Amino acid sequence: MTKPLIALQQIEKSFRGKRRGHWFNWLKPSPGQDIHALNGVTLTVHSGETLCLVGETGCGKSTLARVLMGLVEPSAGEVHYRGKRIDQLSEQERMPYRRQMQMVFQNPYASLNPRMTVYQILAEAIKLHHPSYGRQQVQDSINELLTSVGLPLDIQDRLPGEFSGGQRQRIAIARALSVEPEFIVADEPLAALDVSVQAQVLNLLMDKQQERGLTYLFITHDLAVVEHIASRVVVMYLGRICEIASRESLFSQPQHPYTQALLASIPRLDSLDNAPLQLEGEVPPPTSKPSGCSFCQRCPLVNQRCYEEVPRLLPQRNGSMVACHAVEEGRAWK
Amino acid sequence: MALLTVEHLQVDFRLRQQTLTALYDISFTLSPGERLAIVGESGAGKSLLGYAIVNLLRQPGYISAGAIHFHEQNLTKLGSRQWQQIRGKKIAMIFQDPMVTLNPVLTVGEQMVEAIRAHQKISAQAAKQLAIHKLSQVKISAAEQRFEQYPHELSGGMRQRVVIAIAMLLNPEILIADEPTTALDVTIQAQILHLLKQLCEEQGVALILITHDFGVVSRIAERTLVMYAGRIVERGPTLEIINDPQHPYTQGLLNALPQMALAGQRLNQIPGHMPSLGEHPSGCAFHPRCPYATEKCRWQRPRPIYSGISTVACFAIEELLAETNLEEGDDNHD
Repeated sequence: MTKPLIALQQIEKSFRGKRRGHWFNWLKPSPGQDIHALNGVTLTVHSGETLCLVGETGCGKSTLARVLMGLVEPSAGEVHYRGKRIDQLSEQERMPYRRQMQMVFQNPYASLNPRMTVYQILAEAIKLHHPSYGRQQVQDSINELLTSVGLPLDIQDRLPGEFSGGQRQRIAIARALSVEPEFIVADEPLAALDVSVQAQVLNLLMDKQQERGLTYLFITHDLAVVEHIASRVVVMYLGRICEIASRESLFSQPQHPYTQALLASIPRLDSLDNAPLQLEGEVPPPTSKPSGCSFCQRCPLVNQRCYEEVPRLLPQRNGSMVACHAVEEGRAWK
Repeated sequence: MALLTVEHLQVDFRLRQQTLTALYDISFTLSPGERLAIVGESGAGKSLLGYAIVNLLRQPGYISAGAIHFHEQNLTKLGSRQWQQIRGKKIAMIFQDPMVTLNPVLTVGEQMVEAIRAHQKISAQAAKQLAIHKLSQVKISAAEQRFEQYPHELSGGMRQRVVIAIAMLLNPEILIADEPTTALDVTIQAQILHLLKQLCEEQGVALILITHDFGVVSRIAERTLVMYAGRIVERGPTLEIINDPQHPYTQGLLNALPQMALAGQRLNQIPGHMPSLGEHPSGCAFHPRCPYATEKCRWQRPRPIYSGISTVACFAIEELLAETNLEEGDDNHD
């Protein structure tokens, strides 16, 4: 197997809980509860693939991306980039890696500075990473970038507020591409866009991947998008990985009960008779995580062991990795 | 006999310098107990139509022409007193974000009792009983406990259930749901859709579901209206529209879905974007983005005609029909 581009090892992240409620609660001696966003996540990203991270709100998928990008520090665990550990680097030492790894955010209304023109947004990144560039070179790269994301060149003096959501997301993608990264984390880049515009942006992302051989970590909750673009899929639930599988095996033979339920919940065009496998209940808040398997409160296959012991991520016959006692014991649905 | 009839409804926005039209010539009917979906992207005017029906249009928007008949009454002619007898009682509405709908400083119970007693002369105790009964109807566990809680203590799915319970309090005849599941996770979305459908079936409530998601539509609605730039471009039975969309815009919307393209291939995007208010093109509003557009589409407005599958406003379909009719005519001569 080729050497992974990125390896995450046993990443833990907990946030210090705030004391909530009335101001006099601050006087109470008991500290706020810590919130464990990630519990021992181990994951590799291979060069050139599109790894999709799926899961519901609060499962830790965005936190994982932020840890990976160095935007938050992990509480424990290691992040390796091409074999070199990068989670403990100083800002200065981190710079070359920032150039390799870029991020596209969910909300293009919030991720672009409203007071900067398109030119300034793009030029800032280019100048920072190519300090030797002269004025003309910067202008040339900006022209090239705008063309490559399908925007006209005469928009450079306009502010983000003058653009539609899809156009803003194109600007955000141009900004990410401006430093010629090899790895892009896209955190729900389509969620704020309309259906027809989603297709445009998704096409753009796929085109750029082909042109430049990019590696994507694509975070989404939309399984239809996953089925379309993923090479491999990671399913997360409450800070733990449930299943890692290639796209083919995930959609044809989902193994973890949560993955199965997730697939059954996608509103499909052909599902007029509405009797999907429905999960009872909702994702519990991260402050009251169960002690065993994080999915045990909603799982239809639960037994005593699930409440007590955290399942390990084990390789399966079809090549996927699944963390589930029921699968391990052969109690799961086939 | 139709429960609700909308006839040639037009909604205008009167601005200082000009009057802009947001909805043009909207006509449709809703039968008792029917589930109707209104589909379109943002800016199509679908939410505005929902607001217009329950007279919640904000200044400077107003209904400038047309009529809405509900039980022999013309809703556009009612005063605010008369509206109190209808809105919330006969026609209820559910909005996208439950946290905005619910009052954060009142308990769930207080808001429910307030709503009941605003419309009925009933003792506080009886109102409480009714509220708890409605909460258990929307499958909220421990309803009596929830009754005492504040909205922030509930999860997103639970809040939306409370909102549905409040909407159903006075047994309305029509429920208008504006993107009721957009803010929710997929597994919760499946639960809420199932609940809405079940409630409407059991209690014979007619539903108008406003959404951008054809997957949601196919799960719940019997009939569908597709809107583009303030007009209805296609209407018909949901299954037929999804299986054989007639209008180029509907085709484009459905084709843009990731599940419509082979995995890894480019999606079939619709070029351009929805025109904003005040920029609606002449002729057929879709012509700048339409692959079949001709000179005629640029200047003339297509009228809705029945294509054998759905009712469509499109010249391309009109010509296609004319041709097949001619051929059939020829066959008859032979």
